[in-house]
This record gives sequence, structure tokens and C-alpha cells, in this order.
Amino acid sequence: MKEASLPIVQESSGPAGKNPVGPEMDPRRASWPVLAFFLVPALAIYFGLTAYPAFKTFIDSFFLIEGRETSFVGFAHYRELMHDGTFWVAVRNTMIWSFIAPILDVATGLLLALALYAGVPFARFFRVAWFTPVLLSYVVVGILWMWIYNYDWGVLNVALRAVGLEHLASSWLGDPNLALGSVMITHAWKWAGFNMVVCLAAIHSLPSEVLEASELDNCGWGAKLFHIIIPMLRPTLLNLYILAFIGKMKVFDLVWIMTAGGPLWATETVSTYVYKRAFNWNTFDLGYPSAIAAVWFGVVCAAVLILNRAFGTKERLEY
Amino acid sequence: MSPPSMMGPRDRGAVQMPRLLGRAALAAVILAYTVYTIGPFLWLATMSVRTTEEISRDHYAWPKTFHWEQFHQAWVGSNFATYFWNSALVVVAAVMVVTLVGAAAAHALARYRFRGNRLVYAVLFSSIVFPPQITLISLYQILVGYNLYNSLFGLTLVYISLQLPLTVYLLEGFFSRIPQDLFDAAKIDGYGDIEIFFRIVLPIGMPAISTALILNFIQLWNEFLFAVVLITDPEKRTLPIGIRSFMGENFQDIGMIAAGVMISVVPVILAYIFFSEKLIRGMTAGAVK
Repeated sequence: MKEASLPIVQESSGPAGKNPVGPEMDPRRASWPVLAFFLVPALAIYFGLTAYPAFKTFIDSFFLIEGRETSFVGFAHYRELMHDGTFWVAVRNTMIWSFIAPILDVATGLLLALALYAGVPFARFFRVAWFTPVLLSYVVVGILWMWIYNYDWGVLNVALRAVGLEHLASSWLGDPNLALGSVMITHAWKWAGFNMVVCLAAIHSLPSEVLEASELDNCGWGAKLFHIIIPMLRPTLLNLYILAFIGKMKVFDLVWIMTAGGPLWATETVSTYVYKRAFNWNTFDLGYPSAIAAVWFGVVCAAVLILNRAFGTKERLEY
Repeated sequence: MSPPSMMGPRDRGAVQMPRLLGRAALAAVILAYTVYTIGPFLWLATMSVRTTEEISRDHYAWPKTFHWEQFHQAWVGSNFATYFWNSALVVVAAVMVVTLVGAAAAHALARYRFRGNRLVYAVLFSSIVFPPQITLISLYQILVGYNLYNSLFGLTLVYISLQLPLTVYLLEGFFSRIPQDLFDAAKIDGYGDIEIFFRIVLPIGMPAISTALILNFIQLWNEFLFAVVLITDPEKRTLPIGIRSFMGENFQDIGMIAAGVMISVVPVILAYIFFSEKLIRGMTAGAVK
């Protein structure tokens, strides 16, 4: 995602002692105690609270863990997972969300950025205003939208009834056919401003000659958008897609607050299912959710690598 | 900042009408989207100063009398003061520690050549992609084992580890652009390596460090998943889980929920009013190429 900003680490210059200038005269070298002083706290936190727990989750996935009693079960959890209907529903929901919603996010962000780029007055104000939902917590966003979706007095149904579309007024979070879409829209509401700001920054950094040249050629809005702006923003747009994709593969908070995975598993995501199996069901086994977490870890990492590879080939576009 | 207009100065008159229509359509879209983003929040704000009884009569009326006492009631009567200070304590402590530890690591990775430099960077950075469940269940067991379950100290430790990769990533990028000459000069003046970090890197890196501080603050202030797993004692709840449990118990009390939500949002909105550019830059720092 980011180029190494340092020159390649010099491996060839040999141990410091052989250096004729002496280690203290090469300011890019430091003694091991100094490096340890800077790096050990971060590495200790990383290994103690990220790497070790992650490793332990993989190990745990081969055990049945009920309270203090653990017994080795081999691949039993993984075999069970293959036939776990709820798990596959959760996978399906998360996949739909992760692949489709980012397109919506990035497209909205790009269109909003273009609207501001077209030179409207108070563009700065709109940029700040549109970014606000990004800063709100999922708890706040979730509660707000539960009220917006409320059947009796929520904004959406009130508006539909006001314009005479009563038959469209629905229980947005209670209908299994609508719940996932409703939660996805709420999630998109929160993140559109983020994509807008990034797109706007990228548009402003485009070489102005190209846009000016297209204006001289009497290029229409649509042509300019599809033949110049989108191709030139390609790296940014793909980067945003991957970021949104990662975020959606992990989505938990919003779902948990708005629907807790219901109705009838319509909004169950892998994250909420892991949480339920680990902490909310009376199954008392931490091994099985560990197996789900391990599988999902592999899926997310593989998906990110594949997307990076698929998108990365033509990353540098010739201007 | 004045972006060039997308419309050239040519051919006025003949196409004046469609152009005017285009401008009107653009204005309509922009206003509609502004209502869409800000509207729900303003609605929440009006409900926070109306009693639940008033709200249930008309959910969209402007507050006739401003019931500021709702905030007092939420703060004192509904335990939001406890939640607020728990959140403040955990988040401030975690942000301070993670920024300092992350800055030290970022400095070493950005400045010094040593075997395995890029490996350490990649290892620290890669965990940004990890789904949180991969550590969640184990961290729960580990914290129970060390008697740090249901403790604000334990939650602080976990928060430090959550924000470490992003902090290192942000600061490494900035620190590596500090010119080497500065360090050479400092060495000649007799500064030691550790002195250089505290007396040169930290002051010069302040813009990036404050960006990291703000970003970490917002993300941890809003954090929900680890808090809900690692804290069960009502006295130790942070704001996000405090609000959620309050809502679970008082589902119908909309006015009071709105007041509690406003309490949790106010610090973020205040920070946003004063540092909007910095906040936006911090939140998008990882995505802008």
C-alpha cells in the first residue's frame, strides 16, 4: 500500500566494528541497546497483546474449552463448521456486504467530491459537514438509525406516508428481506464522507494541465468523468475499495447494536456469530468460536492479498 | 483553495439556460446531502432537550422549553458521569502511552539502518488487517488469567495494542521525511541517540504526533467490541457500552437516551469544531496516496 520510505536497509556494510569511521560517526547506525530502548516497548506490546493471543486462538481452535477444562479435539471444530448452517449464512451476508457496499461507498464519495470540486460556494463548510458521521461512534449511529427506521414514527416511514406511499412503509429492521440492506445503508451513511475527503484530495492533486486540456477540447462532463478523472484516480479509488472491503469483513458494532444479527439471521455477520458463540450462547465452549475466528482470519488475509494483487498490476498510470 | 470551475468561459448565452438548470440541480443535490448527514444529528440534539413525553406526542417538534435538566439527570441519575470518566481515563491513558511507544518505534524504524528493519515494520503494520476476533477470545482468557478482566487497566492495555500499528505507520511515514542533516548536526553537538529522540524528533514531529493523538482518541473513544467483552461490571462501563446497556433497560425513554448520546458525542464535536482540518487529515491519513 505504501512504498518503503527509507532507502533499502544496508545489509552489506558489515558489522559496525569493521567500519573504518567507527559506529559513532555513522549517524544512521545505532548500538543495540539504543535500538532496544526504542523498539522493545512496541514489540513487547505487539507480541504480548497481538501476536501471542492470535497464535493462542489458532491453538485453541483444536480444543474443546469449557471453563477450566480443555480437551484436544483435533479438527472436529473445523469439520463441524463445514456443516454449520448459521456460519454459512453469516459468511454469505458478510461477503455480500464486503463486495457490494464498497462500490456504493466509493461511488458516493467520488460523486460528492466532484460536486464540491465543481466550485460551489462554501465548499469547505460542506466538506466539514459531510465528514461528521465518520466521527460518530457506531453506538450513536446505530441508535440514531434505529429511530430513523422506527415503524411508527421513524423519519423514513413518516416521509413515505406523507407522500402517499403508505404501502412502502415497512419495518426496516424487522423484515428479514430488508434488514441487511437497511444496516448496509446506515454503514454507508457513516463512511461516505471519508471516501469523499480522500477523493477530493486526489482530484486536487491531479495535474491541472490535463483537466484544462480537456476543457479546451470541449469535453463534456460525462466524458471528462469517465475518460479522464476516473482513470487518473484509479489507484486512489482501488485503495479506497480495499480499505472499505477490510472494514466490512470485520463489521460488528453496528450490526450488534441495531439488530444483533436478527431477524432470523438476516443480518448475521461472521463477527457477530463469533461473538455469540463465544460470549452469548450457553454453549460454554471457546474452542469452536476460535476455529471460526481462525478461518475468518485466513479468509480476510487471503482476500486482501488477492485484491491487492488483482488491483496492483496497473497501479502506476502514465499521465 | 479555489478549484477551477469545471465550466469554461466560452459559449455564453445560447447554453445559459441548461447551465443554470445544471447549477440548480447541483445545489439541490448538495443541500439534500447536507440535510441527510446533518439532519439526523440535529434531530437527536432537539430530542435531548425534550422530555420523552413531549417527544412521543410529536417526534419532530422544535423544543418549546429547553429541558437542560435532562443532561443533569443523565449525568447524575443514570450513571453517565461514571461512564464518561471511565472512558476519559482509559482513552487518555491509552492514547498517551501508545503515541509515545509508537513514536519511539517509528523513530527507530525511520532513522536507523539495522538488519530486519523492514521486517519489524511489516510485522507491526500487518496486524492492521487482522479481524479483531482473532485476538478477542484469547485476550479475554488471558486477562481473566491475570486478574485483569473487568478492570479498566486491562482494557487500557488492550487499547494500547489496538492502536499501535496505525500509530507506527503514521509516524514512521512522517519521521522518515525529517532531513538527516538535522541528526548529523545534533550528533556533532554531542547529543546522544535518546536525547535526539526527546529533544529533536518529538518537537519537530509535533504536527504528525498531534494527528496521531487525535486519531487514536476518536477511535478509542468510540470503541465498542473489546469494551463489551472485557467489562461487565456496571461501575466500570465506558460510554459506548454504558449507552447501550442504558438503552437496553430503558428502551422507551427516548429523551433520556438522546441526552446520554449527546454527552458521549460532545467531546468529539468540540474537538471537531476546533481541529476539523487536523481531524479529517488524521482520519484519512492512511488512505491518501
